[in-house]
This record gives sequence, structure tokens and C-alpha cells, in this order.
Amino acid sequence: MKPTPQQRIWMYEAMLKSRRFDDAVFQAYWEGKKPVFHMGKGPLPGEMHQSFGQEPTAVGICVHLGPDDAVGAGHRPHHVAIARGVNLERMAAELFGKKTGLSGGRGGHMHLYDNSVNFFCSGIIAEGMGPGAGMALARKMQKKPGIAVAYNGDGAVNQGAFHEVMNMAALWKLPFVCVIEDNKYAVSVTTQESTVVPAWKRAAGYDCPGEYVKGNDPDLIFEAAARAVQHARDGKGPAILELETERLHGHFIGDSAGYRSKDEVAAQKDPIPLYRKRLLDEKVLTTTAMEALEAKVQQEVDAAMKFARDSEYPAPNEALQRVFA
Amino acid sequence: MIDITVPQDLWDTEDEGVIFVWIYADGALVEQGKLIAELTVEKAQLELTAPASGRLKILAPAETIVRKGTVIGRIEPP
Amino acid sequence: MAQEAPSSGGSSRTLTMARAGREAVIAEMRKDPNIFVIGEDIAKLGGVFGTTVGMADEFGAQRVVDTPISETGFIGIATGAAMAGMRPIVEIAFVDFIGVCFNAIFNFAAKTHYMSGGQFKVPMTMMIGYGGGYNDAAQHSQCLIGTLAHVPGIRIVTPADAHDAKGLMHTCLRDDNLTIWMVHKAIWGLGWLGTAIKTAMATVPEEEYTIPFGKARIWREGTDVTLVGYGITVHHSLQAAEKLAAEGISAEVLDLRTIVPMDRDAIMKSVTKTGRVVVADEDYMNCGVTAEVLATIAERNPKALKAPAVRVANPDVPVPFSRPMENFALPDADKIVAAAIATLKS
Repeated sequence: MKPTPQQRIWMYEAMLKSRRFDDAVFQAYWEGKKPVFHMGKGPLPGEMHQSFGQEPTAVGICVHLGPDDAVGAGHRPHHVAIARGVNLERMAAELFGKKTGLSGGRGGHMHLYDNSVNFFCSGIIAEGMGPGAGMALARKMQKKPGIAVAYNGDGAVNQGAFHEVMNMAALWKLPFVCVIEDNKYAVSVTTQESTVVPAWKRAAGYDCPGEYVKGNDPDLIFEAAARAVQHARDGKGPAILELETERLHGHFIGDSAGYRSKDEVAAQKDPIPLYRKRLLDEKVLTTTAMEALEAKVQQEVDAAMKFARDSEYPAPNEALQRVFA
Repeated sequence: MIDITVPQDLWDTEDEGVIFVWIYADGALVEQGKLIAELTVEKAQLELTAPASGRLKILAPAETIVRKGTVIGRIEPP
Repeated sequence: MAQEAPSSGGSSRTLTMARAGREAVIAEMRKDPNIFVIGEDIAKLGGVFGTTVGMADEFGAQRVVDTPISETGFIGIATGAAMAGMRPIVEIAFVDFIGVCFNAIFNFAAKTHYMSGGQFKVPMTMMIGYGGGYNDAAQHSQCLIGTLAHVPGIRIVTPADAHDAKGLMHTCLRDDNLTIWMVHKAIWGLGWLGTAIKTAMATVPEEEYTIPFGKARIWREGTDVTLVGYGITVHHSLQAAEKLAAEGISAEVLDLRTIVPMDRDAIMKSVTKTGRVVVADEDYMNCGVTAEVLATIAERNPKALKAPAVRVANPDVPVPFSRPMENFALPDADKIVAAAIATLKS
């Protein structure tokens, strides 16, 4: 099944919003961290794992999801959060550690949660597998519609949790889609160096479908995702969807990725200009409409960043609140 | 009046068991079918229920070793 | 210590902790269809330590879920289900197994409410067995209460008798947070782990009742020395108090009941009265519950103590297998008696 023009425009807009957001965050991150790079300094402190190049994996799947569904992401969540419809202002505020953030500043960039769209993150590799499958289990137990999707990196497939949860999800036919973003690197270690059989091939070991989509192309991801999502919605159990993608920057801001060769880095393709060109060439959008869309996205991102900067920090002793319900 | 006998079908083997706890005190009123004692046989806690309603008379206290068929108490008229 | 009066209409029942805990779980499961139990060997077997006997028959496989040996996986799954509105009970038979799944407990389940700013609750109760004294050696005899209590976001509940087991379980199941209800295997009420400890069995009312977290319990009042314990060390302390009474020493036995939250006011009230304290814990001595009790006294009113405190705990060794060595390492009534006498000699 191919995406409609509306769906393609939606995907482009979400990818662009993620990219422009990450651009703005990148700029802000370096404030206060020059000339000496101290991670804890500046308005955007801490680690920052950005999604440059990985935007297609978020939109190609989230385009098929609705309010009944649940999505979990890992430590590189921005593109997934934005595709899922997480409130952008509150997301930006959370990164800045402000009181108005999604979690009032308690979680930060790796721990974005928005219960209004059933979205959560986890900062430990593969840790989101269990909770994602658990949200699928809840829907099955409650006899409510909806599936759960958990995003993981290529490195996560070698954590025990991946295997444990896939086995149980398949055993219990949970409406769960396990997404692997293969950006080819787990920090500095390539999938070739770490993984003897990739996740999508292991699906046979869980008696569930597994598909690998090459090309980092939203339209191709859309098609494969439609299959995986429908499989889960039909009550047939989980599916593994492994998506080739590109990590255009280092693992986190500050990682110069010296372990990658210059040729390899130069050969990487940025999916967003490619998709933009395709939409214009195929006349899905006119240039005028495209520019208007891009201006609108930029405004939203600017507004979110302004909201974040203008918001107050929490009172220090708010640290003591919310340990327990 | 009716004896409380360790039932023949309470466990499969011929092993001995031990009375672990009486749920009710000597002289308490008990209802037929309700749990009145727990026995331990190997790695299992087994349940003994009252064969009739009435007043419990305990003949074998907790920690007594028993076999299937051992009379461990009586249900007397209330 | 007065027990709850039995309910009218039935003779009073003496139950084991196992049965009392199950009674609470079954009562809550009958009322709330969102509660389900998940863990290894809990359906057909009814739990290695009898935590779920009879439940699969009543509630079916959908609500009493046997799992593969995948603790990280099913704790994560239960957490996600809790975040989505279910109220899971997760059984881990031996606390020693938290090693294979600690991340799922302490990094995700314990922290999700906080890190989400309260957006996602984790109304999940874990049932975990702990403790030694029956030669199960270092990897199956631990307490690890100190380890679990150390991380914020986890309530640790350690009943010492059947009455408290039921009341605290009701409270756990109605609470919207991660709570770990832990029972020492030797006081649980399983004959194959030893003769019944009579003080662990208790009169248990048929009706439902709750016991609040953070409220310690005085089992025996006294004036000369406070014996602080939880779980099995309450029973060692009760025996010790009897032996001390024969020597003219009046010991007060204080049961912490819940480690997190800990009833520090009760500790201070008792210690201020007696001026002497022994803290007994089967867990490792270093950086654990005994230290936390003494830290409380040191912070709030060190002058309350007329003599140095004495701790009775595992002397920081892996629990040995061989009987004489295991008995040496674990607390018992005689060690508590000796400790109490030591506080009176100082």
C-alpha cells in the first residue's frame, strides 16, 4: 500500500520539523560550552543524541498510528517524539530543564514522556522493549484497540531484553511492533562487528514476520510499516521491522566520530532534501506550497524554542516532588 | 461425632507428613468443607477440610507426624 | 500486643503468612479486574513458595500468567502494562534473582513516575521471597533489602506475621506506586522450610483491612533496651526478650514493618524511653538497614543513647552452605541476647 499525497506531505512536514528542531537544539547546545566543552554548562546541558538523518524511520511508522496506540523510544528520541505528536513547546522546555517541560524538568532529553499521546522514552538500551510490549499486553487484556511500537537501535538487539521480550510478545501474540533503526553504529561499534545475525532475520526464531527496509526512504518505510502494523492490529502477534537509516552526526553532540572514515561520512545521503525534491518532482506540492509549509514549520520550531527559553526553571526543592504518586 | 482422618487421597505417595498448623483452636466451631489444618508432605503444603460442622477437638497437635488414615481430631456436636 | 479481633460469624483463624497474603490478593483480584499476577511457576504450581496457590483455578490463565525465565522481560512488560492502566503483581521467587533484572526495577519501574513528572504511574506490586537458614547457600539465601531500599522510588514492605502480611498486601495493591512486598521464607509458613514459627502465624480477620506504610509495630513493651528488627529478626527478638526477662532485663521489641518508608519516629520514641538499642537484620551489615536505623538516632538525638548501639547482622560474608557456618553468619535469639547484655554493660 502506497502513501497518499496527504500522508506524504504529513511525513515530510514531520521530518522537517524534527530536523529544524534538531538544528535549533544544536545551536543552543553549544552556548556556554565554548571554548571549553563541559557537558554540564549552558542552557541545554547534559548529553544530546540528535536524530539527523534518521527522521524517515519515525514518520514512516507513526503515519500509521492513532490515539489508541502507544510508542516508546530510546535515548535518541526527538524524531520519534515529533512524529508521534508530542507537544513541541513542552518538549523543548524539557530539554532546557524548565518547569514547563513535559516532566517539569525531571527527565530531560533522554526521558521524554507525553501521556496525552501514549509516548515514553527510556535511557537504557533495550529497556523500552518490555514496557512497549506491556502496553500492548494491557490493550489485549483490556480488550481495547491499539498497538504498541518500541523503537530500538541496532545495538539494542544484543541486549537480553530484546530476546526476552520478543519471545514473550510472540508467545502471547501481543499487538507489538519492534522497530530497529539500523544506523550501522552503536556509538563506535558497527553492526558487522557486533551482530552475527541481524534482528529482522531473527524473527524466524520468534515465529513472527521480520522485514529489512533499505534506503532510508519514507515511502518504502511506509509500505513495510503498513504490513507490520496491520499484522499486529489483526491480532497475529508481533513483527520486527528493521530500517536502514543514517546517523549523519556523531553518537552524541561532542562525538567527533573519528572512528568513521571520511569517505564513509561523505557518502552518506541526507534523506530530507531527497524527499523534498521527490515531492516537488512528482508535483505532490508546488514550490510555493512547499515554501509555505517550511516557513510554518520554522515558526513552530522558533516558537517552541522561545517558549522554552522564556519559561522559568523549577524551584530547586521541587526535586523532592513526584517520587511517588 | 465424626473423626478427622488424614484422607487417603490427600497425597500420592506413602510418605509421612506432619501437621503444620491448625487453623482453629481446640473447641472452636467449624463449618463443613472449610479449611481447618495445613499438612506438610515433602515439598507441599496440603489442605485439610472439616468433614462435618461442629466443635473441633484436636487430638494431634501441630508438629505431629502423621500418615494417611491417621485420626488427628474429631468434630463433636456444637 | 493485641491482635485484631476476629470478625463475627466465624471462629478466629490462625493463618500462615502465605495464606494471609493470598487471601488479600484474591480479595483484591475479585474486586478489580485490572489486577493480574505474572511470574514463573505461578499458575499450575501456585508459586515456588505458595504465593499464588489456587489463583489460576479461580481467575484463569489470562490473569495468572506463567512466564518464561525472562525476568527483565516480564518486569518490563508488567511495568508497561501498569503505565497503561493495569495493576500487575509480579512474582520473583528469590530476591537473589534481582541481579538479572535490576535495571527493569530500579532504572525504569522505580523512576518512571518521577522522570515523567507524574504523567505515568506504575501501580505495580512485586512479591519477593528472601532469607536463609535452610542451607540454600549464597545465591539463594540473601535478603538484599538494603540494596533495594537504597534506590529512590521503591516502597519496601516486610511483614513479620500473617496479620500484617494481609493488611500490608491490601495496602500494596491499592497503592499507585511500585511496592515490593517481601516475606522471609522461613516465616512464610512452609513446612519444608522448617517447623512453623508460631509467632509468625496469627489470628487473621476474614474481612479486608489495610495497614499503612511507615508505621512500625511494638510487639512487646519494655524499658531497658529496644530490640529493632523486621521479618524474621522480630521473632528472634521476641525469643531474646523472653530469655532477657528471665535475667531481669525488660526488652522492647520494635518491628519496622516497612523499610521504605521507615517509621523513624517510632524508633526515636522507643530508644528515647529505653536508652539502649540492638538492631537485628539478616541482611549484610555494611551500608544497610541496621546502619539506617542508627543513622536516624545519630541525626535526631544521639544523646538518647546511654550506651553504644549494637548491630546483629550478616558479618558481610556470602551466606555459607555448611550448617555451622551458616548459623554463625545469620542472626538468632542468642546473638541478640548477647548484644542486649553488651549495651547494658557499657
